[in-house]
Amino acid sequence: MSAEVEETLKRIQSHKGVVGVIVVNAEGIPIKSTLDNPTTIQYTGLISGLTDKARSVVRDLDPTNDLTFLRVRSKKHEIMIAPDKEYMLIVVQNTNE
Amino acid sequence: MMSQGVGINAMDRLRLDSPDRRTAWKEEKERKLAKLKQLRAERENRRRKQLEKEAQEAAVRASSVPRDDQDLDKMLSSLGVAPVSEVLSSMSSMSSEPGGDHSGSPDKSLEANSTASPRTPSKKQPQLSVVSVQATNIPPRETVTYAKGVQTSGSGDGHGYYEDWWRPRKAEEEDNSLTMLDTPPIYGGGHNRHLPPGILPTGMPTVQDVKPALATEAEKKVEEEKPQPPRELSDEEKQMLMMTEEFHSFFDRSTRILERALAEDANIFVDYSHDYEEDGEANESGGIKLSLNRWFYDERWSRNRCITCMDWSPQYPELLVASYNNNEDSPHDPDGVALVWNTKFKKDTPEYIFHCQSPVMSATFARFHPNLIIGGTYSGQIVLWDNRSQKRTPVQRSPLSASAHTHPVYCMKVVGTQNAHNLISVSTDGKMCSWSLDMLSQPQESMELQHKQSRAVAVTCMAFPHGDVNNFIVGSEEGAVFTACRHGSKAGIVDAYEGHQGPVTGISTHSTPGPIDFSHLFLTSSIDWTVKLWSVKETKPLYSFEDNGDYVYEVAWSPIHPALFTTVDGSGRIDLWNLNQDTEVPTASTVVEGSPALNRVSWTNSGQQITVGDDMGKIWIYDVGEQLALPRADDWARLVHTMGELKNNQADDDQSTRHYDSSFSSLTSLSSSPLR
Repeated sequence: MSAEVEETLKRIQSHKGVVGVIVVNAEGIPIKSTLDNPTTIQYTGLISGLTDKARSVVRDLDPTNDLTFLRVRSKKHEIMIAPDKEYMLIVVQNTNE
Repeated sequence: MMSQGVGINAMDRLRLDSPDRRTAWKEEKERKLAKLKQLRAERENRRRKQLEKEAQEAAVRASSVPRDDQDLDKMLSSLGVAPVSEVLSSMSSMSSEPGGDHSGSPDKSLEANSTASPRTPSKKQPQLSVVSVQATNIPPRETVTYAKGVQTSGSGDGHGYYEDWWRPRKAEEEDNSLTMLDTPPIYGGGHNRHLPPGILPTGMPTVQDVKPALATEAEKKVEEEKPQPPRELSDEEKQMLMMTEEFHSFFDRSTRILERALAEDANIFVDYSHDYEEDGEANESGGIKLSLNRWFYDERWSRNRCITCMDWSPQYPELLVASYNNNEDSPHDPDGVALVWNTKFKKDTPEYIFHCQSPVMSATFARFHPNLIIGGTYSGQIVLWDNRSQKRTPVQRSPLSASAHTHPVYCMKVVGTQNAHNLISVSTDGKMCSWSLDMLSQPQESMELQHKQSRAVAVTCMAFPHGDVNNFIVGSEEGAVFTACRHGSKAGIVDAYEGHQGPVTGISTHSTPGPIDFSHLFLTSSIDWTVKLWSVKETKPLYSFEDNGDYVYEVAWSPIHPALFTTVDGSGRIDLWNLNQDTEVPTASTVVEGSPALNRVSWTNSGQQITVGDDMGKIWIYDVGEQLALPRADDWARLVHTMGELKNNQADDDQSTRHYDSSFSSLTSLSSSPLR
């Protein structure tokens, strides 16, 4: 079963423009990452906080609502975050046209 | 004197440190008590004397007063002043005259008062009486506050709250009271042990804010801990986490979404002040009749496998299921694969991957169950996949038994309505089975399709006419096409249509809705390089399309255009025929890149795209130009005309062939004559 996970991660990683893929658990600890450790830790720490804030925004506006996907576009990269109850998937992609 | 003597003696006694000290104390006590008594007695005597004196004085005054008055009156009257009583009465009538009276003879006024008062019948003597002052001690109102600490404190020390409050405590306990100043005033509780009930240790009650419960302090501690970096997980723990079911379902969901998001590229930042390239392309594609849109290919699962069947989902028009043959190069992979592709997103990986142990020859979506995909295999088994489960293997399969199929199942279809539907499957041994999707353990009914003295028909393809659930058309390996009936008196093969010289590979029934019904028409494709147009009413083909140079593997009517159909053949050629334009040559034709043999073709529900499956595992999606794909209003009428023409041509052909035979000799003579 983990071979399938590896295969999917490799496929996403080999997608055009993808810089890295990180899987984080609910506590903010990276489970799997294709980036080096310091970068992973940095991304994880910052993005966990951002996701929590975004989720709280959504839920404060409407308690029946919940966050499903988060995309942060910058000049150089796009960070796509798929949060879940227990885990979170983060993908960083270049945005050069 | 006596007391003095007692005192000195007592002191001497004490100093001597005699053993009978207790007796000395007792005597002292007695002497003191006696002294107290004496003092009290003296006091009482004095008081009595005073009272007597006062009484006597009062009496004297009382007796002496009238004489004075009379003298006064005489004196005053001599002076010409009104008698004192009158003056007094006038004075008393007047309310308040502070100035004049006081400044005047105060003694006289006093005397007058004193004299007047006893004279008046109602003597207003100040009534002096001993009044006992009721001293009430109202305890200060205490603010009842609540603190967690107090409730949990034990009270088993023996020094209860109400017990012995007046007993002097040791220094330690008194110190405890000092610490109490920090905590809010508490009503009751075990701390105020040495104070009378109601009195606060802090003296006067002080107003203090109610301090928050201890819980917030704990929260603050937690917040302080947060900035610390989270603990690291060991590799083993991570592996363990990745094995869990939750992780897999999360991963499956999230990667699916992410792949779609990744594939949809950043078109929102397109700057339209550049050349609008897309528009140009769109125009071009409008002109082109057949253009490649995309292809679906999975390196892992569809490589080197021939596509055996394709079907579209009735609920989600963008979902396509394709079944694949086995991969001869990799014997360890499962033999049968079915992939569900999504044409809506640019993501080029399959939505769902299913496999089973036997090559899948046909696949279809269960029309009335959006989550089920049915496959017919080479072994004769019917397998059922469910996309709700995480498994990739079938959730249900029919058994390998003589009651079911024992030959490959090439044709399957779900017919009926929501409440009454069946899966019809036909295998190459001529057996037709009708299944209920709830129970695949045995078919609901089965029938041998036999023709001419119990000769079973080897069915390679099957089609139901539009709107019909009872009659269907099958094509056989011998090249004959049969109509058959499921139920009724004529159950089984009804009619035979001879025409093809090779196995029939594909049948397509006309199902285009329109003003005129052409549902009696159907097309067949065959190994004999031809495509033939038939009507159910006639056993001879209406027309034969002979443009191909290779085996024609499948033919399909357009779902929207009544006169349009497409064929694919073994040389990689896709043909689009429009009967209203030309019946001799295809209206549009293209060759697939790489020229693989194309096994299957299917239209999308919109009728503007064709999906083609080849034998290398790729599914090609072609766009059909709008002018070609979309029907015009008169196309139906024109088709009737075309059919008429075809009929006439056929009749002429028949006649001409007869003439040929009969006048062959004449023709040869004619032909030979020019040579002379």
